[in-house]
Amino acid sequence: MKGLEDAFDYVVGPNVYSLDPVPLQTQDQNRIYPFYDHLRENRLTTTQCADCGHIAWPPRIVCPECMSDRLDWVDFPEAGRIYAFTVQTAANPPGFNPPMVYALIDFDNGVRIICPIVDCDPSELEVGAEVVLKVVPAPRDRVLFFFQLKTKTRKNYEAGNPSS
Amino acid sequence: MSASGSRVAVIAAGMTRWGRRAATFRDLIAEAGKATFDNNPNIKPADINSFIISTVYPERSAFQGHPAPLAAEWCGVRPNEFHCRVENQCGSGTTAIRTAYAAIKAGLTDMVMIVGAEKVLIPSHQEVFLNAMAGCDREWESCFGVTPPPLFAMVAQAHMKSYGTTEEQMALVSVKNHNHSRHNVFAHHQEGATLDQVMNSKLIASPLKLFDCSTNTDGAAGVIVAKEGLARDLCTQPVYILGTAQINEGYPWANYHKDWSSWPALRKAGEKAYAMAGIGPDDVDLAEVHDCFSISEIVECEELGFCPKGEGGRFTEDKLSDYGGRVVVNPSGGLIACGHPFGATGIRQAYEAFVQLRDEAGERQVPGARVALTHNLSGLGEHHILIYGRDS
Repeated sequence: MKGLEDAFDYVVGPNVYSLDPVPLQTQDQNRIYPFYDHLRENRLTTTQCADCGHIAWPPRIVCPECMSDRLDWVDFPEAGRIYAFTVQTAANPPGFNPPMVYALIDFDNGVRIICPIVDCDPSELEVGAEVVLKVVPAPRDRVLFFFQLKTKTRKNYEAGNPSS
Repeated sequence: MSASGSRVAVIAAGMTRWGRRAATFRDLIAEAGKATFDNNPNIKPADINSFIISTVYPERSAFQGHPAPLAAEWCGVRPNEFHCRVENQCGSGTTAIRTAYAAIKAGLTDMVMIVGAEKVLIPSHQEVFLNAMAGCDREWESCFGVTPPPLFAMVAQAHMKSYGTTEEQMALVSVKNHNHSRHNVFAHHQEGATLDQVMNSKLIASPLKLFDCSTNTDGAAGVIVAKEGLARDLCTQPVYILGTAQINEGYPWANYHKDWSSWPALRKAGEKAYAMAGIGPDDVDLAEVHDCFSISEIVECEELGFCPKGEGGRFTEDKLSDYGGRVVVNPSGGLIACGHPFGATGIRQAYEAFVQLRDEAGERQVPGARVALTHNLSGLGEHHILIYGRDS
């Protein structure tokens, strides 16, 4: 998957936003806009409470543990590990053409993220494999993030994958 | 929590044919309303002062918000004590019945009609799958294309790894439920299914195949619940709510408990519901559990205490969840074979409990059934349970 620029053609029209699943990411629409600004710099971040130290996922504007609104942005560790994964080959929503690999990814900061793994041959995935961030463009100047295998195997290169 | 004071009972139940229906959202509601009133001639629409519609996304599939007054009107009801819409994704139906129970217990009303309805199958298949994203977290799940099949596929992966559960054992859940629905004239699928058919069906999300998944279905169902004295006046065989529980432990899905092969929230909800009813898992004669996917039923049998943890696959394989076993699980055919019109499913489960506990289930009757448990989930950590009993 290269990006989702054309993926939502039929749900993204002029003046139509409510059928578009990609969140609005700019400062005039969303108070966690720094998350998306960081993504554009290839940084995966979330919020940590300046009062109690709790690292939240997803990022928050209020700490769910102590209700403080003094939150700092912190970077994720470079790589996470696959806890479980599946290859979805049918019943995919429009724009997410099969096969799509979905995984639960665990990070050393205690956070678990559910996200697609892209640019891989599904047969090369295994529980415990390390994955790293991959930012892709989305319609209306937005971005989304996926993950890819940290260590590319011979098979990836042979497939001529341009991002390998 | 205990069931103090006068009890609450189901006194009427009805449902529409479920399947790919040539009918609108409001057609389905009107059909369910008629079926419910037809079931108990002692109750007329003018007798109903309170009304709840359980529906998940009519805004998506029918461009219809504000469904409570519309649904009441299409059932001929003009509520003057209590009315609302209940939405809790796939657990909406059970949540709606709990809401009616609470309204009656609070003294706001003595009798509530509850209709669950969902129009799912619109002409664009792609849009059906798009709509499936609306129940996940838009910013942290749906925007990645996450819908229920890959989520439950990862439950299956985790359960296979932790307990050695096999794809055949999961398939046997589907075989059982498809065979049960051969005797359910309202079910989407009434043809039965063989193990080969299930195992060779199209792969959806590894390891789940088409027949491991509940079906996208149009449908509606209705029940009427009432306070005990009124229930006895209006119904010769009321079915009583003995216990209920509800729990939610986190959101979105990535933030539920770390081990996806165990669902501790369901175990806790089950224990609470059993305690309120004053029974244990061994007392349950039939259970309509949320088999949105075959693996779900396996985990639910474990967490609800029908079998030891990790042995849900073997429990199914040994036919202990079938007629003649320890507890008949999904005698209706469940979500897998009846189909799953989200807001209607919990109401359909109540319908099944009602007919089973009144010995009216025909060829799928569970012999001597006295206690029925129904369960909905809206996520691995979000569960809704009702326990019903016949008058002793």
